[in-house]
Amino acid sequence: MTVSFNRYFYNSKAIKEAIKAFKGLAKFEVKRENRYFRIKLCNINPRVKERIKDEFCNYVLFMNKNAD
Amino acid sequence: MKIKAKIEKNQLIISLNPKIYPLEAVYGASYVFIDRAYLFLDGDPKKEIKIYIKGKKKMTPKELKDLAGEFNNELLNYTLRENVAKNTKKIREYIVERALFSALRSEEDEDEESIENDPLGIAVPWEEKYGKKK
Repeated sequence: MTVSFNRYFYNSKAIKEAIKAFKGLAKFEVKRENRYFRIKLCNINPRVKERIKDEFCNYVLFMNKNAD
Repeated sequence: MKIKAKIEKNQLIISLNPKIYPLEAVYGASYVFIDRAYLFLDGDPKKEIKIYIKGKKKMTPKELKDLAGEFNNELLNYTLRENVAKNTKKIREYIVERALFSALRSEEDEDEESIENDPLGIAVPWEEKYGKKK
């Protein structure tokens, strides 16, 4: 599962904070490609598999506010 | 193009012109919905901002359409806030500056008028100033 965050809208600090918060639920790999931060999620806890992507995106958006 | 909204795969996609709606307003409006929906931002920051909104609970097309209306209202609200904040920045700074300046001045005045600084010698007892009565 991959999520691509547009670098213009999301900052790296917010993504790092979100990964720290979600690290117990999955393994995260971050790559920086042109305009995007590509986050690969693997070894996802099966209990949260369906919601983790959306919850993670919301969390990054929320952390973006605090990281400003 | 101002605001376009379409529904795709149980998801609302709103497209905005960033020249009309500043990014701060987009963030502000998005945070209002963060407890009710999943939001994701993408697009070209110079041409078109795209906001993907998905309900946390399953939503009907009508509910999604209503959500789009609510989002647009909130967006307008935050755009206005941003504009007011921008337009009143100088006057707000001036008011705070004046308030701090006058607070500082009154503290200085108090210091000058305190009993320890007694240039007229009012606080000096009579006996000390003119000697004891005979």
